[in-house]
Amino acid sequence: MSSSEVVLSIRGLSKKYKVPGREVLVLDNISFDVGEEFIAILGPSGCGKSTLLRIIAGVEKPDSGVIEFRIGHEPRIGFVFQSPTLLPWMTVLGNTMLPLLARGVDAGEARERARRALTLVGLGEFEDFYPNELSGGMKQRVNIARALAIEPDILLLDEPFSNLDPLTAETLRSEVVDLWLTGVVPLKAVIMVTHNVEEAVLMSDRIIILSPRPAKIVKEVRIGLKRPRSRKMPEVQALVDEVYSYVS
Amino acid sequence: MLYELAVATLMSLYRMFAAYLLSLFIALFTGIAMARNRAVEAVLLPILDVLQSVPILGFFPIVLVLLVDRLGPGIGGELSAIILIVTSLVWNMIFGVYASVKSLDPSIDLMANVYKLPFPLRLAAVYVPASKTSIISNSIISWAGGWFFLTSAEVISMGSQTYKLVGLGSFIFDATDRGDIQALTAGVTVLFLVILTTYLLLWNPAVVRYTGLKILPGVESSYRAVDRAVASAWRGIVKAMLRLRVKIPGGVAFLTLIPLLPASIWLSGAGAPSFSTWSANLTYYLYMFIENVWVTLIRVYATLLVSLLISLPLSYLSVRSRRVGFIACTAGELLSSVPAVVWWPILLPIAFTYPWFVMFFVYLQGALWYVYFNVMIFGLQYMKKDILELAEIYGVKGSLYFKSIFLPALLPSILAGLLSASGGAWNASIAAEYIAVGGLKIDMGGVGSLIDKLAARGDSAGLLQVALYMSLLIVLLDKLVWSRLFKRLGSRYVVE
Ligand SMILES: Nc1ncnc2c1ncn2[C@@H]1O[C@H](COP(=O)(O)OP(=O)(O)O)[C@@H](O)[C@H]1O
Ligand SMILES: [Mg+2]
Repeated sequence: MSSSEVVLSIRGLSKKYKVPGREVLVLDNISFDVGEEFIAILGPSGCGKSTLLRIIAGVEKPDSGVIEFRIGHEPRIGFVFQSPTLLPWMTVLGNTMLPLLARGVDAGEARERARRALTLVGLGEFEDFYPNELSGGMKQRVNIARALAIEPDILLLDEPFSNLDPLTAETLRSEVVDLWLTGVVPLKAVIMVTHNVEEAVLMSDRIIILSPRPAKIVKEVRIGLKRPRSRKMPEVQALVDEVYSYVS
Repeated sequence: MLYELAVATLMSLYRMFAAYLLSLFIALFTGIAMARNRAVEAVLLPILDVLQSVPILGFFPIVLVLLVDRLGPGIGGELSAIILIVTSLVWNMIFGVYASVKSLDPSIDLMANVYKLPFPLRLAAVYVPASKTSIISNSIISWAGGWFFLTSAEVISMGSQTYKLVGLGSFIFDATDRGDIQALTAGVTVLFLVILTTYLLLWNPAVVRYTGLKILPGVESSYRAVDRAVASAWRGIVKAMLRLRVKIPGGVAFLTLIPLLPASIWLSGAGAPSFSTWSANLTYYLYMFIENVWVTLIRVYATLLVSLLISLPLSYLSVRSRRVGFIACTAGELLSSVPAVVWWPILLPIAFTYPWFVMFFVYLQGALWYVYFNVMIFGLQYMKKDILELAEIYGVKGSLYFKSIFLPALLPSILAGLLSASGGAWNASIAAEYIAVGGLKIDMGGVGSLIDKLAARGDSAGLLQVALYMSLLIVLLDKLVWSRLFKRLGSRYVVE
């Protein structure tokens, strides 16, 4: 993936939260560009990663700074939440259709597109199931399918594998990377938030490392390694060690 | 007479459904707005708290006179009847929706915001399903309360004027008044049938679903039909709203003010009697109020105690046996819906010798059911299987079981029920302490009786003042005694 063309440009982003009695600075002057690439944003928990993602998704306003999408139209944004966040009273299909209905797609068309997205994550057979009938890994797949259903330009992932058992997490990681590489979804960029160094090295093209709160960009590391990557590869090990040195 | 009765039945049913649908609408919008908007919550929560516990019957003649004055007896009377029924249905429904939406996982909100769900879709996909259980459980209590109030809504007198609306309540009232036993029997029978049918067809299946009690075999298919009809009607509404791309943000804030409508009518009523008559008699009415209030106070708390003594053993038995549970729930729904006007003629024979019994009966009728249903329907839900199994495995039985498992598990429901019941008991004092039907006249003293006598005299200034003093006392008791007690008990016992 080349990062020649800038898809998203973030400049001077700052954000404070007011808590009773004082103000807490969470994001401190964050600037970076996102090309056509898979970016990992790495930082300790509580540093402001989710806040940054919510601001990019447009559901939270920064106190200062600008976010500019350079894709020529209103960006479609898919969001994979940390917990599956499925509505328990709706089937898998209903949950996946929801963002499409919200965009005014008519029900028949929405159903078709949702089915396609579910097939992509391997849940084609489970569309009539209710969330409480699924395993944790399957719920997270629905979460991903729901994000893909709207055919997003940009996919935002908020620690998507942190609540899964290691084995399921590993499988899902490689599936997400495959989705990105094969281009079955017209994604321009992926931004994944994580506090897991290995995950960032294994999956992304570039890692942006944030400091503890208030989050500042400490370092950017380009991961030029070929895919598929595995933990055991010495190049991966070396990069993991390097990134750890910036984190601590 | 048959024709008359049929018309009366249809009119009463229409009034109930109109009031119920209106309440549902108000409950949804107000509950959601309160849960989602801090400003709305801060303003409405205390106001609704007061409105819920205030004796609405006391203010009602004033509302009626005002509406009839401005809109004529036809529309005005109809409107005031529906408003009265709504005021007996809506409060617990609002609180139910509010609590359900408020306790939604915040990440669901994030999801709804990220995918920019428009308001109709949010309503249909998130808020309504999230509050469905509490809407249904609260509807059951409300529906019974609505029938109870129906007769008071259909026959109202203020001074020399009496307004009657065509309906089952006024039909039974007239029959009693004329001493027409045949008409009375027919009216009461039809009323029972209507109440029982609506309960069995609409609510019992829902109760079954949430309490795990047994369902009647024939009823299930009718319930499915209702369920399907409601679901498809709802889908239709949502689809239409989505197609129109309704934008309601400004509107929602406005809609939340609907429950304040009765309040504003009362306030405009307060302005009606001239101010000088007000202040002149201020001490006069205050003295009357103080003189009468203590008997009512004692009766209210005695009623609450008896309500507990009836409800707790029954729910204890319901946990043990499904059959008892089913009978207790159905009997409760039926009995709780029976309006006071039906009880009077039934109780007539003993009314002369034991008037206090009749009074107490009406008191109970207005209060018991809040405790009863809260404990039976909400409470039993908390008697989760794992807790019961735990008790069985460790052989916890008898008084230890009652004290260490049963009571703590039910406590939140008991407290919620008592709070509503205290409002209900104060309200019932107006119907209980002064009864005048046909040749029967019982005056047991107390504030409720005072309010009735003031209304009969057409003394609206006095009526309003006494009702306001009563409301003030109730709110003070709530804030100073009850809510503190509840907080202490609640934090000690509430089980997760
Ligand atoms: N709505 C909010 N109000 C106040 N403080 C918040 C809010 N959201 C997040 N915070 C605070 O901002 C900081 C960063 O939160 P978050 O972005 O969730 O961190 P991360 O995702 O990196 O763990 C935390 O200290 C958190 O407590
Ligand atoms: Mg986070």
